[in-house]
Amino acid sequence: MSELEIQAAVPRRTNVAGRRRPSLAEVLAALLALFLLTAAIAPRLLAPGDPLAIDPLSAFQAPSVAHWFGTDESGRDIYTRVIDGARDSLVIGVTATLIGLGLGVVLGTIAGTLGAAVDFTVNRFLEVLFAFPGLLLALLFILVFGPGPATAIVAVGLSTAPGYARIIRAQLIRVRSSAFVEAATVQGLSGRRILTRHVLPNTLSPLLVLGTLGIGQAIVWAAALSYLGLGAQPPAAEWGAMLSAGRTYITSAWWMSFYPGLFIVLTAVCATYIGRAIERRMRHA
Amino acid sequence: MPRPGIVRSTPRPLTLALAAGVTALGLALTGCTTASPDAGDDTPKSGGTLTYASGDAEPTCLDPHVGGNFPQALVSSQYLESLVSLDDEGTVIPWLADSWTVSDDGLAWEFTLRDGVTFTDGTPLDAAAVQANVAHLQDPETGSSTGYLALAKVAGTEAVSDSVVRFTLSEPDSALLESLSQPWLAIQSATALERTQDENCAAPVGTGPFKVDSWVKQNAITMVRNDDYTSPPGDAGHAGPAYLDEIVWRFIPDSASRYAALQAGEVDMIDNVQPDTIAQAESSDTIVHLDAPRPGASNRIELNSGKAPFDDIAVREAFIRSANIVDGVESLFQGTADRSTSALSSVEPLGVSEPDLFDYDPDAADALLDGAGWTQRDSDGYRVKDGVRLSVVFPVSTNQSIPAEQSLYEQIQATAKETGFEVKLAKLDLSSWYAELGANAYDAVSAPYTKVGPDVLRILFHSDGITPAPSGYFANHAQVNDPEIDALLTEAGQISDPERRAALYADAQERVLDGFYILPLMDQQNHFLYATSLEGARVLPAVSTPTFYDAWLNR
Amino acid sequence: MAEPLTQRPTPIRPRARTRDRLGAVLRRLAGAVFVLWAVATLTFFAVRLIPGDPAQAILGGPGSQTSPEALAAVRAEYGLDQPIWVQYLQQLGRLATGDLGRSYGLNQDVGPLVLAQLGGTLVLAVTSLAVAWVLALTLATWSTGRGRLARRIGSGLEIVAAALPHFWLATVLIVLFSVWLGVLPPISTSDARGLVLPVLTLAVPLAGFLGQVMRESLLTALESPFVLSARARGESERGVFWRHALRHAALPAISLSGWAFGSLISGAVVVETIFARPGLGRTLLTAVTVRDVPVVVGVVMVVAVAYILMTIATDVASRIADPRPRTEAGR
Repeated sequence: MSELEIQAAVPRRTNVAGRRRPSLAEVLAALLALFLLTAAIAPRLLAPGDPLAIDPLSAFQAPSVAHWFGTDESGRDIYTRVIDGARDSLVIGVTATLIGLGLGVVLGTIAGTLGAAVDFTVNRFLEVLFAFPGLLLALLFILVFGPGPATAIVAVGLSTAPGYARIIRAQLIRVRSSAFVEAATVQGLSGRRILTRHVLPNTLSPLLVLGTLGIGQAIVWAAALSYLGLGAQPPAAEWGAMLSAGRTYITSAWWMSFYPGLFIVLTAVCATYIGRAIERRMRHA
Repeated sequence: MPRPGIVRSTPRPLTLALAAGVTALGLALTGCTTASPDAGDDTPKSGGTLTYASGDAEPTCLDPHVGGNFPQALVSSQYLESLVSLDDEGTVIPWLADSWTVSDDGLAWEFTLRDGVTFTDGTPLDAAAVQANVAHLQDPETGSSTGYLALAKVAGTEAVSDSVVRFTLSEPDSALLESLSQPWLAIQSATALERTQDENCAAPVGTGPFKVDSWVKQNAITMVRNDDYTSPPGDAGHAGPAYLDEIVWRFIPDSASRYAALQAGEVDMIDNVQPDTIAQAESSDTIVHLDAPRPGASNRIELNSGKAPFDDIAVREAFIRSANIVDGVESLFQGTADRSTSALSSVEPLGVSEPDLFDYDPDAADALLDGAGWTQRDSDGYRVKDGVRLSVVFPVSTNQSIPAEQSLYEQIQATAKETGFEVKLAKLDLSSWYAELGANAYDAVSAPYTKVGPDVLRILFHSDGITPAPSGYFANHAQVNDPEIDALLTEAGQISDPERRAALYADAQERVLDGFYILPLMDQQNHFLYATSLEGARVLPAVSTPTFYDAWLNR
Repeated sequence: MAEPLTQRPTPIRPRARTRDRLGAVLRRLAGAVFVLWAVATLTFFAVRLIPGDPAQAILGGPGSQTSPEALAAVRAEYGLDQPIWVQYLQQLGRLATGDLGRSYGLNQDVGPLVLAQLGGTLVLAVTSLAVAWVLALTLATWSTGRGRLARRIGSGLEIVAAALPHFWLATVLIVLFSVWLGVLPPISTSDARGLVLPVLTLAVPLAGFLGQVMRESLLTALESPFVLSARARGESERGVFWRHALRHAALPAISLSGWAFGSLISGAVVVETIFARPGLGRTLLTAVTVRDVPVVVGVVMVVAVAYILMTIATDVASRIADPRPRTEAGR
C-alpha cells in the first residue's frame, strides 16, 4: 500500500532532542496496560473476593461501596468478575491475534518472496478465505470442534489471518522495490543483510499497529461468539459472556453490561495506543 | 391603537364566537373523558390489525401435524381447531365434537361432530374429514412426532355416519380425550391435506376464527378473519365471527428488542417474556401481564440414572439436597415464578407435590456422599472415588431455555461445588444438544415437555421411553427403569375410572419423586405481555396458547 | 511515492496494452471461478463435518419422532445414501447450472429463498458502508488542520468506535432511541426509519476502523513532497486537501472496503437477529443451527459472489482515485 511507502520514505517531525516524549494518552495507556496485566496474572491482588461466589439474595444490586460495579443476577460481584475476566479475555485476544499474525506473516511472506506463480496461488487462497463471512468461518469451526475458549481462539485467529497476510505481502512487495533497498543492493550488501536490516523492520512495523488493533477486534469477536452461545462456557467470567448475559437486563440493571463492555473498549483502545507508540519509536530508531 | 376618545371593546360577534368555541372545546373535552374506553365502554369494536411478536423460532411448517412443537401450536391456534377443548378447571368440553361415548371395554370411541361447520375452503366438517386427519397424522411421510405419539393406540377409524366417527383402539387409552384437545391433533380440511406437503405447510385450511392469508418467510405470517366462523369452544366469550380483521404474526428472537417493540407500540402482544421485564410491565399502566403455565411436565432437571455417578440413589439425593432452588428462583424470577416440587405442571389437577424431599440441605448432602464412598476431595475441591472425579455433565440448549433459567443452572453449579460436585455446563445449539442426549453423553439435563394430562408421566418415566427413536430423540432422560412404575403407568393409561386413575398416577409420581430422579424447579414459564388497548385476549386452557377470537382493539 | 531514481516508466506499445488488459480480465475471471469453487467445496465439507444427520434435518428438524422408514425414504430422495464424494460432485454439478437445491427444513427452493433475503442484507451492508465512509471522512476532515487537540480527539473517537461490539451497541442504541427518547422503532419496519439503528450499529465501528486508516495516510500525505510542491505552486489549502491529500488518504480505505464488506456480512448476522430484520445473516444462522446444508451453501455462495463483485468494484475505484502514474513497479 502506498501510504506505508510514504511513511517509510518521509521522516516524521520530532522535537529538537530527536526523541519523542510520551504523550498523556500513551502514559495513560501504559498505566492501564499495567493494570490489565496485573489483573490477568494476579487477579486476587486487585480483587480479593471470589468471582464465582453466588449470593442470590443480593442479586441485581446497583454499584455501591460494598460492590463497586454492582452485582449480577446471581449476586456475584461484578468488579471481581471483570478483574478475573481480564485473563480469559486477554488470553483470547492476544493468542487469537498471534495466531492470525503468525499465519498471516507466513502466508504473506510466501506470497511476496517466492515468485509470481506462488503469489497467484496464495492470493487466490486468501481470496477464498476473505469471501467467507468471518463469523461463519468461526461458527463452522466451533460447531465442528465444540464450543469453548480454545476453539474460539483458533476460530478468531483463522478469520483474521487473511487480512494480515494480504498486508504483509503488499508491504513486502513495496519495500522490496523501494529506494533504500535498491541503494543497499547497489552498495553490495548481501541479500540477507538487506532482509534483516531493511526489509523486515519496515514490513513488520505496520504489523504492530494492526496487531494491537487486532487484539481489540479479537476480543470483540470472541464476545460476539459468546453472544451466540458459542464462546466461553459458564461460569467463566469472560467479558464477552458477561456482556451477553447483561444485555438481557439492560433496562433494569445497566451495570451488568456497562462495566464488561467498558473494559472491552478500554483494552482495545489501550492496545491501539501502545501499538502506535511502539511503532512510532521504532520508525525513528 | 384605538382612536383617541373612543373606547372599543372586542366586537360582539367575535366574543360570542370565542365563547362558543371555548365552551364547545370544554364540552368536547369533558365529553371525551366521560366517553373514555376505560370508564366502562365494554362494547367490542370490530376491525383492526393485531401484531403479535413471538420469541420462539419461526416454524418451518404451519401445519402442526408435521413435527409438532410449541411455536406451531402458538400460531395454529388461530386458524385450526380440535375435536375437544379444556376449560379452566381442566374438564374436557366440546369443540368440533359435540359429544362422545366410549364402549365398555374402552376400545371404541364415538364422536358426534358439530353441525353446520365448514372449513374455509368450503368443504364440510364430517366424519370423512376426521378420518383423513387421523390417517395424515399416522402416515410416516407426514413426519408427525407429537400427534403420532398421541394416537399410538388408535388402530383405525370408521365413519359411522356423516357426523359420527368411531375410533378403534388397540388398547384402552385414558388419555385420548386430553390428547385430542391439543393443537397438534387439530382437524384440517381433507381436500387441503391431499395437496403436497409444501402447499399445506404454507397455508393449512381449518375451521378457526382466522385463516392464513400469506406467509413471507423470515418476515411475518398474515391471517385474516374467517367471516363464516361458527364453531367457538364451550368457554368462548361470544358467538359469530371474530372482531379483529387481521393478525400479523412476527418473530423477534431477541428478548430486549421484543419488549422494546411492545413499549414502542410496534407490536401489541409478545411471549417468552423475561422476568425482569414482567416486573417493569406490572408497574406500567399501558402493559398487561398474562401468566399461563404450560401443561405437562414441570421445569425440572432430570438426572441420568442409567450411568455413573447418578446410578446411585444416594448421589442423586445428595445432588438435589446441595441445590438452593428457592433463593435462586426468588432472585432470578423476581416473584413471577414459584418453586415447584412436583413432576407435573401446577395446572395439572392430578399433580402431586413433595416439598420435604427437595429442601436445600448441604449437610445432608455431605453425609450422603460420605456414605456412598465419595469421601476424598482433590486439589480443586471436588470429590473423588477410586480416582474418578464426581463430575456431572449438563448440556444446556440455548434454544430451549431463557437466560434466567441458564443463570439458575449456574447457581446450582456453584452450590453443588461446595458439596463437591463438578458440574460442567455446556451451552449448545439445538442440534448439538439433541446429539449429546442421543449419545447418552449427559448426566443432567433440563428438557421441556408439554402435553395435556397426566399421561405425560408415562412418556417421561416409563422404561419404553429410554429407547431412542431413529433421530436419537427419547423422552425418559432420567432413564427411569422401574417395573413397578411401569406397571402403574401402563394401567393408569388404560383405566377409565377417574378415582382409580388419579390414585395410580399419584402413586407413580410419589415413586418417581422418592427415587430422586428429578429435581423440580418451577412451572414451565409461559408469560405474555400485551398492550392495554388489546381487550379480550386469553389463552386456551389446553396448552396455554393465546386465542384472539374474543379479542378486540380499543383504539 | 518512490524516488525518481527507481521510476523508469517503460513505454508500452498500444496493441500489447490491449492484449495485456484482456489477459488481465481473463485471469480475473478464472480467479473468480476458482474462488467460487473453493468456497463451495469448503462449505460443503465443513457443514458435513458437523455432527448431525441431514436426513433428520429434513424430516422436521432435531428431536422429532421420525420412523426409520421415513428416514430411509428421505435419504433415497435426496441422494444422501450415496458416498460423500458422489454427493459432492452432484452438488457441484447443480451449482454449475445455477441450481442451489432445496432447503432441508424450509420446504423451499434455496435459490428464491436466498434471493428474497439478499435484498435486505445488501441494503443494510451498502448503506452501512456508505454511512461509515461519511462518518470517517467527516471526522477526518474536521480534525485535521485544527491543531493537536482536535487530532487527538478525532483519533480517540475513532479508536473507541472501532472497539464497540455490535450486539452491545445495538442494545444501547435501542435503549437510547427507542425506549428513552422514543423517536426510532426498535425493530425493523418496512420504511427507512427502521433502517437507522441497524445501519448505525454497523457503521459506527466500521467508521472507527476506516477513520484510523485514513487518518494515518492523511497526515503523512499532508506532509509529503507533492503536497509541498502543490502549496508552493500556490494552491489553496482547501484545494491541496481535497484534491491531493484526500485522494492519497482514501486509497487504503478503498482497498479496505472490500474486506469491510465481508465483515459487514458477519455483523449483519448479529444485527438482523437483534432488530428482527429479514436477511441472509439470520437465515444463515438458523440454517447452521438446524444443519440445513443447502441453505448454508446457497447463502455462502451468494455472499462470495457479492464479495468478488465488491472487490472488483473497489479495485476499479482504487485505480480511478489513485493520481499516481501507472508504472511497472508494484502496480
